Amino acid sequence: MNAFFSFLWDNLQQFFGYTAFASFTYGHAIMILIGLTFLYLAITKDWEPMLLVPIGFGIIIGNIPFLEGLSIGVYEEGSVMNILYQGVRLGFYPPLIFLGIGAMTDFSALISNPKLMLIGAAAQFGIFGAYGLALLFGFPANEAGAIGIIGGADGPTAIFLSGRLAPDLLGAIAVSAYSYMALVPVIQPPVMRLFTTRKERLIRMRPPRAVSQREKIIFPIVGFLLTAFLVPSGIPLLGMLFFGNLLKECGVTRRLAETARGPLIDIVTILIGLTVGASTQADKFLQFRSIQIFILGALSFVIATTAGVLFVKFFNLFLKEGNKINPLIGNAGVSAVPDSARVSNNVGLEYDKSNYLLMHAMGPNVAGVIGSAVAAGILLGFLS
Amino acid sequence: MGKKLYIILTGVLLLFGARAAAQSQSDMRLNEILVNNTDDYEDDYGHKHGWIELFNTSRGTVDIGGCYISNDRNNLKKYRIPKGDVLTKIKPRQHIVLWADNMPLRGTFHVNFTLTETDVLYFTSSNGRDIVDSLHFPTGEGPFPVMDYIADSDGVRIETKGSIAAYPVDNVSYGRLMDGETTGGDSGWAFLVKTTPSSNNVILDSEAAAQRFKEFDPVGIIMAITAMSVVFVALMLLYLIFKQIGRAAVRSGRKKAARAGIIPHEDEIPGEVYAAIATAVHLYIQQGEVHDVENTILTFRNIKRNYTPWNSKIYGLRKQ
Repeated sequence: MNAFFSFLWDNLQQFFGYTAFASFTYGHAIMILIGLTFLYLAITKDWEPMLLVPIGFGIIIGNIPFLEGLSIGVYEEGSVMNILYQGVRLGFYPPLIFLGIGAMTDFSALISNPKLMLIGAAAQFGIFGAYGLALLFGFPANEAGAIGIIGGADGPTAIFLSGRLAPDLLGAIAVSAYSYMALVPVIQPPVMRLFTTRKERLIRMRPPRAVSQREKIIFPIVGFLLTAFLVPSGIPLLGMLFFGNLLKECGVTRRLAETARGPLIDIVTILIGLTVGASTQADKFLQFRSIQIFILGALSFVIATTAGVLFVKFFNLFLKEGNKINPLIGNAGVSAVPDSARVSNNVGLEYDKSNYLLMHAMGPNVAGVIGSAVAAGILLGFLS
Repeated sequence: MGKKLYIILTGVLLLFGARAAAQSQSDMRLNEILVNNTDDYEDDYGHKHGWIELFNTSRGTVDIGGCYISNDRNNLKKYRIPKGDVLTKIKPRQHIVLWADNMPLRGTFHVNFTLTETDVLYFTSSNGRDIVDSLHFPTGEGPFPVMDYIADSDGVRIETKGSIAAYPVDNVSYGRLMDGETTGGDSGWAFLVKTTPSSNNVILDSEAAAQRFKEFDPVGIIMAITAMSVVFVALMLLYLIFKQIGRAAVRSGRKKAARAGIIPHEDEIPGEVYAAIATAVHLYIQQGEVHDVENTILTFRNIKRNYTPWNSKIYGLRKQ
């Protein structure tokens, strides 16, 4: 009888060794709390729910401790999570997301007023400002480049570039990029108010002209040829973005466009969010450099917004009265589609209830997507 | 229509498949040879022989099974690399060594000639006709310079490190200064300071670029100026092109309108109309609670009206 209880006790002890409780640490608890916070913000505050729900739950999945060697974890070769993570590691999820973004983006605002493209270029200064700061923080150049791309405010681009330049920092960079994209309505308005006068905020822009279908078809083809020839290292992102847009605009591939902007992007968003979240295991994520990355990420958003707004003010010096641009759309150049354009619109409405800037802000907003993909290509070309 | 599509698709696939195979084998290069081996690389039998190193310059796996290697221009098919050996699939940017020992029965990579017989070498694709790469290596009295490829903090350069009086000489290899490349030396080839069978002739540190960048640009100013200039140039060109396209489109629209007898207006729809539409949609979404959870998708649904004898007929008619 005694032997039986001893056997039972040994088995129970062995079973306990297999449970998550046996190797649970404070680090896991902190990460699970972060995951729960993401879920809370997404579900109750509606902050980027499509991204924060998968990432938040992914963080919880990635921080349940387990006995290594059973092919369970995201970093264990052959495990289900590891197989799904290959899309992040090898970088094929981000271009697929760009395909969907291209298929759902209407570039009309940009085509009708192409000078807004330059705002999308100016806002990329956030990337290189953060790159310089990261170098000063002591990061090596390749890691600094990967951190800087957070300023592009584009999750897939950040994942694509960090996967190549600094795979070890991928989790922290992706979470930082998506967090700040969700916080765009909090970060940007104070910067926009700081650098604009009341008179500038009231500028009314001319309504955009109607754009023909021919122009919409030419745009992705010319846009791709031009940007890809200049920065071939950006081909995976730019190619998919413009190809998706061509599917949308050419008018003969409706089913393909619907798949790209519907089921395909949804599937990839689920997988990328979940696996990026799961890659933030406590022992890899809870490090001092992750905190540094978060600080640099916040600064990059501030620099990008400032650069966008100031560039519009500078640009206005050369524009005739009646053609001037409201500097409140300068923030939209950071991409973060469509949240930053919405921020432009909302801040504009605070000062003039009938001045709707949304359509104008969509121009620099989508130009920002192109600009950040080009910038990622440049960083990849220089630093890889 | 469907049949036509399949025919086109099959044609494209066949064309692509044929081209891809040809392209792959054409990416192989003769990369290094050692004629006299007395104290160098050993084969699996523990013997030392001359060897030929091939290099896959592409970013994809290349199967060299079925390709030919020869030291005779009149007999390009002298040694056929056997098909079906898993080891003939050369991974991207990887090397394979063939033993020039005239002992083909020892395995796939032992060819039926030696390098002392002639001073030429041909690598031919599996069709037996297309010479993928060839080499005429120096022999006889020299002197021949020995070169090295240096990559350090002073940059990348080729330096001469002594010479050899004649060739063949024991344990000195003749190879490309940079794997698969044609820069420097004699069309990229030179006598090398050390033999590197099955590995890179020169190893460039992949982090060197990033490190050098940090060294010359510690705070990122050069990077910011360079990269921002490229981003601006890209979007500026796009702006200029679309400015012209836009003008052409407006002109063509006006011409069409004029032909149709319509008098165009600069601002056909005033901004207030857009604002009114946007406000109406906003209020409709907020008050009607018809918007579902997706942020970027605007959904318009049919209004479900309660049945009354007064509206049923109208509703039915409007549905059609």
